Amino acid sequence: MATKTFSDGVALPASDINTYLTNSGMTLIKSQTVGTGVTSVVVTNAFSTDYENYLVTYNGITNTGGEVLRIQLGATVTGYYGNLIYANFASGAVSSVGDNNTANWTHCSGGVNNFTNMQATIMRPFAAAATSISAPYQDGANAGHKSGWLNNSTSYTGFTLIVGGGFTITGGTLVVYGYRRPT
Amino acid sequence: MTRPLIQIDNEVREMTEEEHAQYLEATKDISPLTPETE
Repeated sequence: MATKTFSDGVALPASDINTYLTNSGMTLIKSQTVGTGVTSVVVTNAFSTDYENYLVTYNGITNTGGEVLRIQLGATVTGYYGNLIYANFASGAVSSVGDNNTANWTHCSGGVNNFTNMQATIMRPFAAAATSISAPYQDGANAGHKSGWLNNSTSYTGFTLIVGGGFTITGGTLVVYGYRRPT
Repeated sequence: MTRPLIQIDNEVREMTEEEHAQYLEATKDISPLTPETE
């Protein structure tokens, strides 16, 4: 989509408004508040042909625990690959945790008592092609990055946040944004 | 026995037996890092 410069006092067609609201740099697709004590949050109708790449954010969690969130696309429970590579604040020692054909992408956010900030970029989930994920990780002693992919030809419209380790999540706002297509 | 809660968009409810089985399967692979307290 070419950019357009608007002028004062000139008619503004509805089609221009709709085009530019849909194709601004990053567009809000949906948001939802997380309930109390849940272990899974299913997000439907998040991905479509309107956008190719997406940003998922989640913060404002209010309960205690170490919530390290996982992401599952659609109903797919196999074939996830990736690595969390992280370093300890004090020692600088570098470690990793791998997803090797797992049921979801693990470690898609950090997790500390009363703190879970997710900032996951999901590339091409709606396309009938491989999907990838990129997300920073932080906890009380480490920071790092998660990167992974799901190599199949399934087109997804939604995803599920999953909390493992016997934890739950309460509160906070989950937001899905779409990146403008460069057309 | 009470099963965990699942949220679908804005609705929160108890998992069905099938959903609970799927959840247990989905979280068995890798234990998260030990949660660190600030």
